[in-house]
Amino acid sequence: MLGVLRSLTETLRTMARKPVTIQYPTVHRELSERERGYPLLLWDSETGEPFCVGCHACERACPTECISVIMKDNPLAAEGKSKRRKIVDQFLLDYGRCIRCRICVETCNFSAIAMNNTWDGQEMSRYDRGELVMDLEQLLAKSKAGEITPWVAP
Amino acid sequence: MSALESFFDNVWVDALWRLLAVLGLMVIVVLALTYVERKFIARIQMRLGPMRTGPYGIMQPIADMVKILLKEDLRPASADRIAFELAPFLAFVPVFLTLLALPFTAKWDVRVLDLGLLYFIAVSGLTVLGYVFAGWASDNKYALIGALRTAAQLISYEVPLVLAVLALSMLAGSLNLVDIVEKQGRVPFIVWQPLGFFLFMAAAVSDLSRRPFDVAAAESEVAGGPWIEFSGIRWSILYALTEYTNMFALCVLGSLIFLGGWDWPLGLKWGWWWQLALIFTKTSVLILVVMWVNATFPRIRVDQLMSLCWKLLLPLAFVQIFLNGLILVYGWPDWTFLLTSGLGLAAAGYIIYSVIPVGAPSRIVARSNA
Amino acid sequence: MLTDQERELETLDIHVNVGPQHPATHGVFRMVLTVSGEKVVDVVPHIGYMHRGAEKLSEGMDYRQALIYQDRTEYLAQFNAELCYCLAVEKLAGLEVPERAEYIRVILTELNRITSHYMFVGAFATDIGVYGTAFTYAFREREYIQEIFDAVSGDRMMYGYFRPGGVVWDVTDDFKDRVRWVCGQTRVGIDDIDRLLTKNEIFLTRCLDIGVISKEDAIDYGLSGPMLRACGLPFDLRRAEPYSIYDRFQFDIPTGTRGDVYDRYLVRMEEMRQSVRIVEQALEEMPDGPIMPEKAPRRLRLPPGEVYMRTENPRGEYGIYLVSKGGEKPYRLKIRSSCLSNLTALKQMVVGHYVADAVVILGSVDIVLGEVDR
Repeated sequence: MLGVLRSLTETLRTMARKPVTIQYPTVHRELSERERGYPLLLWDSETGEPFCVGCHACERACPTECISVIMKDNPLAAEGKSKRRKIVDQFLLDYGRCIRCRICVETCNFSAIAMNNTWDGQEMSRYDRGELVMDLEQLLAKSKAGEITPWVAP
Repeated sequence: MSALESFFDNVWVDALWRLLAVLGLMVIVVLALTYVERKFIARIQMRLGPMRTGPYGIMQPIADMVKILLKEDLRPASADRIAFELAPFLAFVPVFLTLLALPFTAKWDVRVLDLGLLYFIAVSGLTVLGYVFAGWASDNKYALIGALRTAAQLISYEVPLVLAVLALSMLAGSLNLVDIVEKQGRVPFIVWQPLGFFLFMAAAVSDLSRRPFDVAAAESEVAGGPWIEFSGIRWSILYALTEYTNMFALCVLGSLIFLGGWDWPLGLKWGWWWQLALIFTKTSVLILVVMWVNATFPRIRVDQLMSLCWKLLLPLAFVQIFLNGLILVYGWPDWTFLLTSGLGLAAAGYIIYSVIPVGAPSRIVARSNA
Repeated sequence: MLTDQERELETLDIHVNVGPQHPATHGVFRMVLTVSGEKVVDVVPHIGYMHRGAEKLSEGMDYRQALIYQDRTEYLAQFNAELCYCLAVEKLAGLEVPERAEYIRVILTELNRITSHYMFVGAFATDIGVYGTAFTYAFREREYIQEIFDAVSGDRMMYGYFRPGGVVWDVTDDFKDRVRWVCGQTRVGIDDIDRLLTKNEIFLTRCLDIGVISKEDAIDYGLSGPMLRACGLPFDLRRAEPYSIYDRFQFDIPTGTRGDVYDRYLVRMEEMRQSVRIVEQALEEMPDGPIMPEKAPRRLRLPPGEVYMRTENPRGEYGIYLVSKGGEKPYRLKIRSSCLSNLTALKQMVVGHYVADAVVILGSVDIVLGEVDR
């Protein structure tokens, strides 16, 4: 009987504690700085173009092959406004396939891609899988608006 | 005025409005208990529980009800149609009938029966029929196993329940619930009959299929037992309505016969509002204890359940009856009830403690590294 | 010959299909129980519902990418699996791991062992029938550790934080403080669960002498981890063949005496306490310094050869057999799953017990289906 009574007092004791759960969709847990949400492309506001030059490094490094990049000659470089001679033309990233391993960020030589460490990078449910294939504009939007401070590995 | 009075004096009208009142009470009880149980268990588990519907999730039972009502009523193609559709009502009607015999205060009752206690026990024993019907008709192995477990369990535990209540009615000298309540006067029967109360609560928890005796519905084994194929409103009648009403009825009964009901203390003197407060408090305490136990304990196995009933609870119930008889025949003073019954309870605790090899030190052999 | 009357009285054994969708199967495991009344007379386990070809997929990946699949394979003790894989690759590549990285790895691995055992305790108690109370207790504590993992690696489940040669980036600045706090919290949390379950008579009746397996049988079946130690054999790879820096720490190897479900539970509970001890020791000694070797190649190429590395995971011996034919991809990567070996003894343990016990025994094996099916 003693063990049974001990269990009963234990549950009674925990009743006095503060609940540890939060109301998730209305209250969001604070994300850590290193949070790996879905990857995003970064916008170079100085020259007004993406950092990405379309070098295919991430495309090759991706374990799930969810990235497709097309490179083009940079028109701004021809005008002398930018140092990048090549620039990304199209960038498709399938969030439905992405497993958020951050290898693309590790491989990128230009710090052009970053993991989204905000809640937007977590809550990605869509009604249609096709909507999860992100193009260049969608990937850049958050960085363009300055809503993201990507974490850089020390 | 007199026309109105004579209208209500009509036996049929009288019966009808009392029935409706009980029906309303039942709905309120079920709604309230759904919410209370969810919140209470959430607190034990350090969760928040329902919070979204209304302030502190107070409208959650309504939302649940609406959801359940709108759900599709599924019936397996291979189910025995008549039995399947009958089962929820077979389970529910006896529980509803038990409410009719309960006096909630000195005046508030549907009918006070002279054999009220016997009626309650007899009728509530019929619930098992609904579960067996449900399990059999579902044409599902889990449901069948669950139904057989329920049958064995409910029938077995009916015996210590009856005997515990019988021992108590020896003290009261009556089976009329109002008599029993009034007989308790200054000292509620729990003081004279701690063993009887323990047996009653154990049998009641078993009757309610709550942990540690919920072998019938055991989610981790038979995934819901007899209820497994039911959905929507049928599930709600079979499970939620029946279980919660049954819980309420048994706890009201427990507080009537063991805790002094609406009388102790000062119920008859202070009037109906105090009686109502008393019965509400006592019933709530019992219900919360059942929920608390439910949230704390693991489930015991079906064979252990049976042996607990037949090897421990039943002999103890006989012991209680025997002791009461002895004391009543020889006219020993009242405190001997407490003494003997308390000793019996201690013995029960000791048997549980000693039969199971606990107390043995944890058999961990630790080996520190060199 | 049976008479007609006897034939009428003959009972039929029925097959009860438990899983792959069943609350007790911890994933998508399926077992077909043949029951006579409530007693199990036979059990046929079916695995493979979660086969995702992690081994084959790894063959098409380079060594960094293949690591990602270790997380997905052993999804409750990810750091442990990553560590095993990294050790295998390092052994073949001859990489020297910096001290700090070793310590970080050990701390995280041991914390991960605690979370995994928390998961076990919660799920096991639910199998026995506790109404989620032990589960929420365990998960509350698990969450504290998980938050550290989240802060360090950036993900709550699939860390991908270790790399052949070290760890991918350094830990957070407040890492030491947080781990120190979580160590104390874990002791409290274990005690909570201890009080709720360990001496509870109902829990004991359900656990004692259920699913007993003898020491000899356990060795014959190739059981490992807590399953083996519960039988009384103090075999722990951290002690038997110390990998990484485990030879520097003081810890006990808890063993049981009966080899039943209760012993497995006790062994795991004690292992959590020992893990806390290891973490605290490691925190004391953790040096500063680099976290990757100085001349770590940017793209790892392994010399031809083969290597087998085994580590002590929460669920037992986790092994990686790696064959390289040169180049940057493994030629073959075989995962020795501890759960699969432990699961082979299921029939011997379950037969003769009640249906309810079958569920408890399966829970006590503590399977991770991702690892069983790979």
